[in-house]
Amino acid sequence: MSLLKSFNSYDSRIVYLLLFLIVTIPLLSPMGLPISVSPSTVTYYDVIDALGPDDLVLVVLDTEFSGYMEIQSGIIASMRVMVERDAKMCVAVSHPEATGIPELVFAAIRETVEEHGYTYGEDYVILGYVFPNEAAVASAAQDWQGVIHKDFYGQSTEGTFLDQIHDWSDWTLISDYTTGIQSGSLINHFGLRGTPMIVNCIGVMISTQMPYLSTGIYQALLQSMRGGAELEYLTGHPGPGMTAMDAFTLGHYMLIVLIIIGNIGYFGTKENSRRNVE
Amino acid sequence: MIDPVEFSIMVVGCFLSMCMFSTLYGKSSPLYALAEESYIGFATGLTIVMNLMYIYNTGVVGIQGGDWILIFGFILGIATLLRINPKYSYLSRLPIAITLGAQLGLSLRTQIYTGFIDQIKASIIPLFEGSAKTLIYNWTTFICVIFMLSFFLYTIEIKGPIKLSAKIGEYLMYASFGAIFAQTFMGRLGLFVGSIQNFTVPPWKKPILIACMAIVLVALIALDKLNLLEKLTPEE
Amino acid sequence: MKSRELSLIAMFLSFLVVFVPYFIDVPALDTFSTKLITITAITVSFTLLLAIHSQFKRGFDFVRRKPRGWIFKVYMMITIVLMLLFALGGLETGSYHWAMYAIITPLSSVNYGILAFYLASTCARAFKARNTKSILLILTGFIMLLYQAPFTGAFFDLGPIGIYLANTFGLAAGRMFLISVTVGAMVFGIRILLGQEPGVLGIRSEE
Repeated sequence: MSLLKSFNSYDSRIVYLLLFLIVTIPLLSPMGLPISVSPSTVTYYDVIDALGPDDLVLVVLDTEFSGYMEIQSGIIASMRVMVERDAKMCVAVSHPEATGIPELVFAAIRETVEEHGYTYGEDYVILGYVFPNEAAVASAAQDWQGVIHKDFYGQSTEGTFLDQIHDWSDWTLISDYTTGIQSGSLINHFGLRGTPMIVNCIGVMISTQMPYLSTGIYQALLQSMRGGAELEYLTGHPGPGMTAMDAFTLGHYMLIVLIIIGNIGYFGTKENSRRNVE
Repeated sequence: MIDPVEFSIMVVGCFLSMCMFSTLYGKSSPLYALAEESYIGFATGLTIVMNLMYIYNTGVVGIQGGDWILIFGFILGIATLLRINPKYSYLSRLPIAITLGAQLGLSLRTQIYTGFIDQIKASIIPLFEGSAKTLIYNWTTFICVIFMLSFFLYTIEIKGPIKLSAKIGEYLMYASFGAIFAQTFMGRLGLFVGSIQNFTVPPWKKPILIACMAIVLVALIALDKLNLLEKLTPEE
Repeated sequence: MKSRELSLIAMFLSFLVVFVPYFIDVPALDTFSTKLITITAITVSFTLLLAIHSQFKRGFDFVRRKPRGWIFKVYMMITIVLMLLFALGGLETGSYHWAMYAIITPLSSVNYGILAFYLASTCARAFKARNTKSILLILTGFIMLLYQAPFTGAFFDLGPIGIYLANTFGLAAGRMFLISVTVGAMVFGIRILLGQEPGVLGIRSEE
C-alpha cells in the first residue's frame, strides 16, 4: 500500500538525481548503442551534398550557446560537408553568445579544413553578430553591401567572395541553425523570396517548423540532437552527437518508466481509496 | 600537456555550472546566486559589446563610406536612450514610433504569406491521387486541420455539426500534443545532455567534472545542515 | 514631440514606406525603404544599451536597501564593467576570450539544461491516464519517445508510425498554432497602426 502511495507522490529530487545520473554516467563511459537514420536526415544530407565550389552558403548560427549544446553535432557535421564540397561559407550569428561558436566549430573540423586548403577570406568569412533584430535581417536581404562592411575580426569584407552578394538572390543556400531567434525573419526576408533554406532546429521547435517544410520554404529539416547524430553517422564522422545518443536513449526510457510508475501509483491509490469507501 | 588557460576555463566553468545545478536541491543557495549573478553580469556586458560593435560596423563604417542618411539611426538611437530621463523621456516617442512602424511593415508584409496564405494553400492537398501511403498521410493531415480549426472557432456558437467537429478536433489535438510533448522533451534533454557533454570531452575533463559535482553537493549538504543556506542566500 | 498624433503619424508613415515598395515597384521609394530599414536596425540596437541602465538601476536600488546578500549585486555590476573592459583588450584572445568560454558559455548551456529536469518531473506527475484524452496523449507520447530513442530501432522499427505521427498530427497542430498566432499578430499590428494600442508607443491613456 505504502509503495503505491510513494509511486504517486515522491520527492521530485529523486527524479532530478536519477536524470542526472542516467545522463552523466553514459557520457563518462559510452556504451556505443546503435543508431538508425531517418528520411528527414537523408533529405538534409542530399541538399548539402549537392553543394559545389561555386555555391555561396549563408550559415546562420541563430542560437544562444545553450541551443548550440543541443545542435552542435548537426552544425559540425553540416559544415564539415560544406568544407568537403568546397562551398563558400559566410557565418553570421544572431545572438551575442553565438559569437563564440565559430571558433569551436572550426576547431572541431580543423583537419578537414587543412586537408581541403580551406582559407579564410577566400573560402569562408565569419561576420559575427550581424543579425541582432528583424530589421537587420531585412536590410541584409535587400542591400547586403550597404550593411555588411566588416567581419568579426574588424577586417573589411571587400576583396572576399562576399563582393558577389548584393541581395537575397545571390545566395545558393541559407543554412539556419536555430532556437528560433531570427528564423522567422530569415523565412520572411530570404525564404519567402525564393532563397533555398535548410534548417537544423532544437526539439522544441520541430512541430512549429514543419509547416514551413510542407510549404516548401525549407528544403530540409534536421531534427535536434538526434538528427545531428544521424548526420554524423551518415557522413562517417562520429562526433558529439553519436556519443550523446546513449544518454539520450536512457533519458527517454527513464521518462517512460516514470510515467508508468506514476500511473501505477495513481490507479493503485485510487483503487484502494475506493475500496476503503466501500 | 594541458594548456593552463584551457584548464582554468574548464575548472571555473564546471564549478559555476554545478553551482547553477544546485537549484535542483530544492532550496535557494548562495552557490546558485553566485552562478546566476555571474551569468547576468557577464552576459549583459557581452550583449552591450556586441551591440556597440554592430552599431559601429553598420552605422559608423557606413557613414564613413558615404551613406550619410544612416546618421538618422544614431540620432534616433540616442533619442531612444533618453527614455531613462523623466524630463526628456517624451523625446523617445518619435524613434519608438518610427521603428515600430517600420517593423510592423516588415512583419505584416511577409507573415500574411508565410503564416497564413501559404499554410492554407499547403492544407489543400490531393485526396484521391497518389500511393496508399500518400493518401493516408494526406487524409490524416486534412482531417486533423479541418477538425482542429473548428475547435478554435470562438465567434460563433458551437452547436450541432460544429460541436461534433470541435469535439473530434479536441481529441486529435490531444493526440498531437503527445507527439509535441515527446519532441519537447527530446529538445530539453538534448540541451542538458549537450551541456554535460561539454565537460566530458576530451577525457581529461571527466575527473574535474566529478570533483566539482562532489564539492558542490557536499557544500550544499553542509550548508543545509548548518542552517546557513538561507542566511547566505541573497533576498529576492 | 509630445503629441500622440505626431507619434501615430510617424508610425503610419514609416509603416507605409516599408510596406508599399514590397508590392509596388517604385525605385526611389525602394531605396529609401531599404535605408529606413537599416536605420531601424541601428536604432533598435541602441535600445539594447538600455540594459546597462536597467541592470545598474536594479543593482543600486538593491544595494541601497542593504538586504541580505547585497554583495552579490555589487559583484554583478562589477562583472558588467569587467566584461566591457575585457572587450577593449580584443575579442579573439585574452580576458574577453576567457570570460566567454569559462563563464558565459557553460552557464548559458546549463541555464536551459535545467529545464529538462523540471519537464521530466512535471511530466511524470501530470501524465495520468484519467480519461480518453489523456490516454491518447500518453499513447502517442510513448510511441514518439520510443521512436526518438535511437536504441529502440534495434528491436522494432517504430520509424513508420513515428514519422506518421510527426508529419500528420504534429504538422497539423503546428499549422494551427502558426495560423492562430499569425492572425492574432496581424490584428494586433493593425490595432497599433490605428492608434488603438497607445501603450505600445509609451503614450499614457489619459493623454
